[in-house]
Amino acid sequence: MKQALVLLVSLLLPGFALAEPASPPNGMDAPAWLRKIYQASQKLSYSGTFVYRQGERSEASRIMRLVDSGGDTEKLEALDGMRREVIRKGDEVRCYLPDSMTVKVDRRSNQLSFPALLPAQLSQLPEQYVVTKEEKARIAGFDCQVIVLKPRDDLRYGYRLWADTHSGMLLKALIFRDKGEPVEEFTFTQLVIGPHFDRDRLKPSFAAQSRHWRVENAAVEPANLAETGWTVNAGIPGFRKVVEVRRQLRESQRVGQIVYSDGLAAVSVFIEPIEAGRDPVRPGMSSMGAVNIYTRELANHVVTVVGEAPAPTVRRIAETVEYHKPQ
Amino acid sequence: MKSKISAMMDGELPDAELAALMPSLRGEGEAVEAWRQYHLISDALRDTDILSSGFSARFAARLEQEPAIVAPASVPKRAEAKVHWLRYSATAAAAAVFVGWLAFQPRQEVVPAQTLAKAPEAMPVTVPVPKEADDYLRAHQNYSPRNNLQGVAPYVRTVSDTARSR
Repeated sequence: MKQALVLLVSLLLPGFALAEPASPPNGMDAPAWLRKIYQASQKLSYSGTFVYRQGERSEASRIMRLVDSGGDTEKLEALDGMRREVIRKGDEVRCYLPDSMTVKVDRRSNQLSFPALLPAQLSQLPEQYVVTKEEKARIAGFDCQVIVLKPRDDLRYGYRLWADTHSGMLLKALIFRDKGEPVEEFTFTQLVIGPHFDRDRLKPSFAAQSRHWRVENAAVEPANLAETGWTVNAGIPGFRKVVEVRRQLRESQRVGQIVYSDGLAAVSVFIEPIEAGRDPVRPGMSSMGAVNIYTRELANHVVTVVGEAPAPTVRRIAETVEYHKPQ
Repeated sequence: MKSKISAMMDGELPDAELAALMPSLRGEGEAVEAWRQYHLISDALRDTDILSSGFSARFAARLEQEPAIVAPASVPKRAEAKVHWLRYSATAAAAAVFVGWLAFQPRQEVVPAQTLAKAPEAMPVTVPVPKEADDYLRAHQNYSPRNNLQGVAPYVRTVSDTARSR
């Protein structure tokens, strides 16, 4: 009876793809919920407003996503503070910064293209996190199931996820440290699921002006940094190398990037040559919410490690970066 | 112990011993007591103005409020003549009674950078978010598994006012 009801509801909502229509939501265990959230993020079209909170900082943004025969397009507009827009079409991400009249274009490398990465790693998450299904709660008018990923060590943060019981859509995500102190939070305050808007709304608001803006195109290509003498012996339990590329950042820099991930958290190691006229490198740790950034100088390069992981983890990875002149 | 504190204040203690000595300066104990006495003597000898009562407590409270504590890149050696503080310890008690209690607790954050580098578990130096951070964050975000749960939402972090205003 229940299954029939779910089926009926999904038929009544046009364009609405149910992630796992066969399994009744209540009977699902926590890992099944994670799969449901993942599938929802791949299939659902939606539009809404969410608030990002980090310490004293709180910012509202509008987000829209349309998955149809025209492709998979997403648009993020910051409503508070500096104007900016991020538009993703397939693997291409364009960031419009009207204040500096710049468009920054980035493409994911084909070396290991997402979304093929996550489902394999989802099954490995329980090695690093205790995944539990907790209470139900209401967020922005949606009945949500709370899923908690508590880290098994202090090398990573914990996650508390609120997913719509019906669609699996993630309504709220909280990153916490140690005993549950919040580090940062994303919460939808308003959300409509379904392709209820026109594709034109996904076009950049600055389409006309931006034709005269500076375009920074980040060329990304697979690389083997060890061949040029750089090694990273991250050795953090659960973190595996997922991507190794050479890319362009800003003007004409050739920057090496190696990404490590435990399936949920990711840490990037950037190795960038120090060019003449650059400001002096300030070695040390800085943080922005859940993201910690550790900078050090090595062999006339700046090594910058950026990750959604506690500061000691980010630093530990940074300290293992070595340079040996290739033979 | 006291001779080591004395040597440290003169900048004569080898780095290896300096790193070993640092933990004993946390909290209370003989080393901390000697540290206070020798500085008190030093201040008295140099005719340094004595701080108002309660200064260190107020200082510690304000330091606690600071969002980021920046340790100096290097601490220049004292140019003045070296004094062997241990020799003055006999007069220390009298001096202490005279000038009153000067509770200065050395904090880990103000240890010279050279000792930070030597001790692997020491707190790293806190620096402002680098101005290149936005570019790094965007490049990083492209490969974060979080995209698979939240779409482009986490990109809100990359181009933040917080990073720019610093």
